[in-house]
Amino acid sequence: MTKQNRKVPRRTFLKTAGAAAGVAIGTPQLIPAHALAAPGRTGANGRINVGHIGMGGRARGLYRELAPLRESGDCQSVAVCDVDETRLAQASQEVGPQAAVYRDYRYILQRKDIDAVVIGTPDHWHGVQFVHAAECGKHIYCEKPACCTIEESRAMVAAAKAAGIASQIGSQGRSQPEAYLMHRYLANGVIGKVGRVECFHYPSPEDKTETPDSDPPPQLDWDLWLGPLRWRPYNARYLHGVFRWMLESGGGQIRDRGAHVMSCAMHWMGADGTGPVTVEATGTSPTKGVWDSAVLMDVKYTFENPDWVMTWTQMPNEELPPAEERTPDELIDGVTRISRPGYGAIYYGEGGKCMHWGGDGGTWAERKVRQWQLPAGGKDVYKSPGHMQDWLLGIRTGKRCIMDIEWGAGVANLTILGNLSFILKRKLRWDQSKMEIVGDEEARRMMSTPQRYPYYL
Amino acid sequence: MDEELTLDLLIAKIQDPDDKIRAAAWDAAGPVGAAAVAPLAKVMAEGELEISRAAKRALWAIVRYVGRPGADEEKKPVIGELLKLLGDDRPVAVRREVVWMLSEIGCGSCSGEVLAKLLRNEKLREDARCALERIPDEETTKLLVDALESIPGDFRLALAHSLRVRGVEVDEKRYPCQKLAPTRQTQVKPAGA
Repeated sequence: MTKQNRKVPRRTFLKTAGAAAGVAIGTPQLIPAHALAAPGRTGANGRINVGHIGMGGRARGLYRELAPLRESGDCQSVAVCDVDETRLAQASQEVGPQAAVYRDYRYILQRKDIDAVVIGTPDHWHGVQFVHAAECGKHIYCEKPACCTIEESRAMVAAAKAAGIASQIGSQGRSQPEAYLMHRYLANGVIGKVGRVECFHYPSPEDKTETPDSDPPPQLDWDLWLGPLRWRPYNARYLHGVFRWMLESGGGQIRDRGAHVMSCAMHWMGADGTGPVTVEATGTSPTKGVWDSAVLMDVKYTFENPDWVMTWTQMPNEELPPAEERTPDELIDGVTRISRPGYGAIYYGEGGKCMHWGGDGGTWAERKVRQWQLPAGGKDVYKSPGHMQDWLLGIRTGKRCIMDIEWGAGVANLTILGNLSFILKRKLRWDQSKMEIVGDEEARRMMSTPQRYPYYL
Repeated sequence: MDEELTLDLLIAKIQDPDDKIRAAAWDAAGPVGAAAVAPLAKVMAEGELEISRAAKRALWAIVRYVGRPGADEEKKPVIGELLKLLGDDRPVAVRREVVWMLSEIGCGSCSGEVLAKLLRNEKLREDARCALERIPDEETTKLLVDALESIPGDFRLALAHSLRVRGVEVDEKRYPCQKLAPTRQTQVKPAGA
């Protein structure tokens, strides 16, 4: 690990702040705002310098989500990076001349004045860039899914632990206001012991364009875009954004949105840090094009001790559960209409069921959950101040972030295993204590994908 | 697919103008096995865009089918057929896929030597290195060690990395880790500069 002089104390930034506020770090309650720093604007010495790795669609969104924290002086964006020069120039226009511009993220990692990085690159880069950033001592916000292989997930967890950095994976559904309500509702056993969680999602798209390989556009560094993936000629249907539908990168809806919906499930079930014992998937593939992730899909995860089952189903639109209609008088105090009804989950307990829609930037709990009041003596749960805010809190206080890499990698592993079972057309057995597939040599080899040199873990 | 998929039917359907028929064919190709490897490779090499892609998927379906636990007797002939596709007379695109297929079901003794030869092929050496890195046996480790000692040039740094992945200690001074060294400059200037 590269040690560097740090402007912002990490885990030594105590506990003092929290203790002074009468808050024990790690207990499930809202950390008071003044535990973050002195009241009002953060002093220059406490301002976190952020480098942005990737400035495409979602990554620009992450930059914008940091705006409140830039305005309060908690952080500033000092560098932007992208392998597409057009996107890089556009990003620079938005971010401003104070931010250096790079094509190669390793320049950002070299800078000792940069405390933290936001990784918003395509998924096949997450593992490598996360490990590199951790080894350079940077705190990390990394988009979901955390990684593409089991090997990457192990390496990321180990690197973060060795470096002692704060990490947050971009499953921001956990930090949404109604996610807190769902979590609290379930944690208090209102529907009894939950034995089954059924996650639903609309299908992955198919590419009907029949696009041949071609030369890359002049503004794109194709080699650097590919990074750790094995070499192939450029094809316009690999990017931008549509990498989501390639099994080796985005992994399809199960990894793209499963990383959100199953993240909520693992958190609300108190199952973070655990894993299934078996995974079994079936599905249908696209009939042509370069996209190969499952269009329709059924995956079953079986957990033991405690025993429960989670399913992930990509179903035709007409089969999706209808979304709750919210009346105008409900739309107060931040409550919004359900703008993404096409995915969510239903929780089946011994005493009833409940459901939510969304699970990412929007998480909507059904009415009875929203209306439920915590009784005296009831169990409260952690209420995130916001996903970025929670990350910065982790940087400053050493508190565990709500979706740190260990938990983020655990959710990514679920999605990876689901896809592996789909690809191999067979049930897989998983040993969580060893973090490996059991009894299937080919599947075990597919826990890793050797990376193209020099873009390796 | 209701009717039994014979070799002839597979090859016919994989070239059907209807993408749904092609997809059903490659999805069911697994049990057709080793006999289909060479004909599918031919279609992959010579077929029109989507037909070539369908043939490739059929090959992968066979690899994954014979890679299942307990299928060693089905796997061996498939490996044998795949190795025949690695000759210099074959298209690079086909050979590249085959190398990665062998990374999933190959072994040091059955496919190591052939893969190791490709370490000297500039277009395929990186894929061959990855395949050898992925196949977890002593034979492939030895082949990587031999390659490190005999292949000249910068490629040795990549080979050194593979050996480290396999738990082999490699001289850091002679083969330094370069993963954090930036190499790409941008032409973009900061806005307003």
